[in-house]
Amino acid sequence: MSEKKQIPEVDIVVDHEAGVIREVKPEHLRSKSGHEKRINGSIYAVLILISIIWLAPFVFLVFQSFRSYATESGAMVAYLLPKQWSLDNYVWLLTDPSSKFLRWYGNTLIVAIFCAVLQTFMVLSVSYTLSRLRFRGRKLIMNVVLVLGMFPGFLTMITLYFLLKQLGLTQSGAVPGMILIYVASSGMGYYISKGFFDTIPKSLDESARIDGATRLQVFRMIIMPLAKPIVIYTVLMAFMAPWGDYVFASYIAFGSEPNYNVAVGLYQWVNVADYQGFFTRFCAGGVLVAMPITALFLALQKYYVEGVTGGAVKG
Amino acid sequence: MASVTLEHVKKVYDKNVVAVHDFNLQIKDKEFVVFVGPSGCGKSTTLRMVAGLEDISDGILKIGDRVVNDVEPKDRDIAMVFQNYALYPHISVYENMAFSLRLRKMDKEEIHRRVCQAAEILGITEYLGRKPKALSGGQRQRVAIGRAIVRDPAVFLMDEPLSNLDAKLRNQMRAEIILLRKRVDTTFIYVTHDQTEAMTLGDRIVVMKDGYIQQVGTPQEVFDTPVNLFVAGFIGSPQMNFLKAKLIQSGNGYSVELLGTTIPLNPDQNQALAAKGVKTQEIILGVRPEHTTVLFDNKENAIECTINVNEMMGSELHLHLSSQNKDKIIVRLPTVDLSKEQRAQLSYGNKMYITFPAKVMHLFDPTSEKNLIYG
Repeated sequence: MSEKKQIPEVDIVVDHEAGVIREVKPEHLRSKSGHEKRINGSIYAVLILISIIWLAPFVFLVFQSFRSYATESGAMVAYLLPKQWSLDNYVWLLTDPSSKFLRWYGNTLIVAIFCAVLQTFMVLSVSYTLSRLRFRGRKLIMNVVLVLGMFPGFLTMITLYFLLKQLGLTQSGAVPGMILIYVASSGMGYYISKGFFDTIPKSLDESARIDGATRLQVFRMIIMPLAKPIVIYTVLMAFMAPWGDYVFASYIAFGSEPNYNVAVGLYQWVNVADYQGFFTRFCAGGVLVAMPITALFLALQKYYVEGVTGGAVKG
Repeated sequence: MASVTLEHVKKVYDKNVVAVHDFNLQIKDKEFVVFVGPSGCGKSTTLRMVAGLEDISDGILKIGDRVVNDVEPKDRDIAMVFQNYALYPHISVYENMAFSLRLRKMDKEEIHRRVCQAAEILGITEYLGRKPKALSGGQRQRVAIGRAIVRDPAVFLMDEPLSNLDAKLRNQMRAEIILLRKRVDTTFIYVTHDQTEAMTLGDRIVVMKDGYIQQVGTPQEVFDTPVNLFVAGFIGSPQMNFLKAKLIQSGNGYSVELLGTTIPLNPDQNQALAAKGVKTQEIILGVRPEHTTVLFDNKENAIECTINVNEMMGSELHLHLSSQNKDKIIVRLPTVDLSKEQRAQLSYGNKMYITFPAKVMHLFDPTSEKNLIYG
């Protein structure tokens, strides 16, 4: 005989003021009052409105990218839905000899991958060090870096350009130049991962060191497996920043078309090149740029959230 | 297996905060030494210096004959059990225990043999495949101990290993540590703030306060002959009673004047005091709760008290009394011989009388707080 667990359909509530015991429907069975419903409704209305505003450009971009280049113009038009759907724009981007899209895409990918690897290494090393080691000037370094981080990076743009030029890392050397720039100051972004490392009990490190591990072994064998969310978060961040960067890329590679990254390249099309002719191709390029990032995010968002909120690891 | 020697070891933190002052101790091979004291007394810091987790500011630390001041923890041949277990959460119990052996590149079969043997000793064989998360507190502590014993270390360090366990489990694990010690037979240094653990586990106890060693001795020595007020009050539960009294020298003998009664001292006490040249002076008299005799009727030289609180502990009662001049006194009274009438008498506000023989009295100087005989 299986007995069904009875969820009581009434809650007993003692009304001290009146001195009586009342039976009240429990929260989950009570029908929502009209007032509550109205509030919920308006909240949803606002949220829906916001998401429409937020999504509209992207939907527009996707629609435009599928417009036939052969039968309709490649320019901006006054209608949203393409009259004829086609992959013309994509085909041109990926196959046409005059399209440098793949080259740009490749440049961006190289920069982003290098950054993801190097920057993750830098950020995690710096933050682990700041979290675990105690040395003179530690607090000072952390504070100075924090304050420095509040200045926009663009302030250093001109200096950096001349420095890179001296090293031959502009224009034709733009790809390594960009990697250098992104990675160089990345240790400054230690803050979130340090917070995460702080939540891993220090006695784990100590225990491992007594067990015979070197500091590096502790980091590799004990801390890294526990810090998976923050590693993924850091990789994602390090990958995304150069992936979508325009400002630094545009002046480092200034004038050297084969060394553009994808953002600069696409912008050149709609700006200096044939704006009318390239608009739908620009849109298709935009979709292609968004794809890997979106995929990465969807795959890793669970860790991403854990990484940002931190403290998810118990000792 | 090794001795541990600390010579003038000192720990100074930034801003000249001194955590440990001039620590001198010789720990013999296979000895079980307990550092005990209230929090902030420097006991954990000292242990961590032995482990190599804290730098030694000054002095010499030797394990065996080797000076290890600047030796990395991993090269000191020590194992340590932490208060919060510090198990590696991402690997199984087996891997936790095998971790140090793998780092040493030990033979796989040897690792397996050692881990299984340790698990057997600690009764955790069935949990070897689990992650630490799936274990209870007591089981985790066993794994932490297992992780230490597989290494067969020269020195076994334990930093308040039982503090995170509930009272019942703590008693059980305490007994198991005594057994373990018999099986492992190596040098142990054990840190605790719990005087019961210190008394039951240690061959010798090191009582610490504010970074200074107060007394080193066997549990019996520390209990019987505390050198100062702090040690007297810290060791023993309930705490030793302290009463204002007067020591009177008359001829070759001494007596203690307390609340209108006069208690002459024993010959050996007289001798010791005379040898130290103690004169008539105010003293603080220390008497342990278990050394007092409770009387229901007045008798010569008995001290009259009023009952404030009667704590029933089962086999005994803890009576909180106050004397005529408001001294607080706690006495322990076994319940087994009490008649019904006597029990009825032990309630709030009733009068009681207590006596104690001279041999259980500890005499402390009020200013230096030192024991006049042993200090």
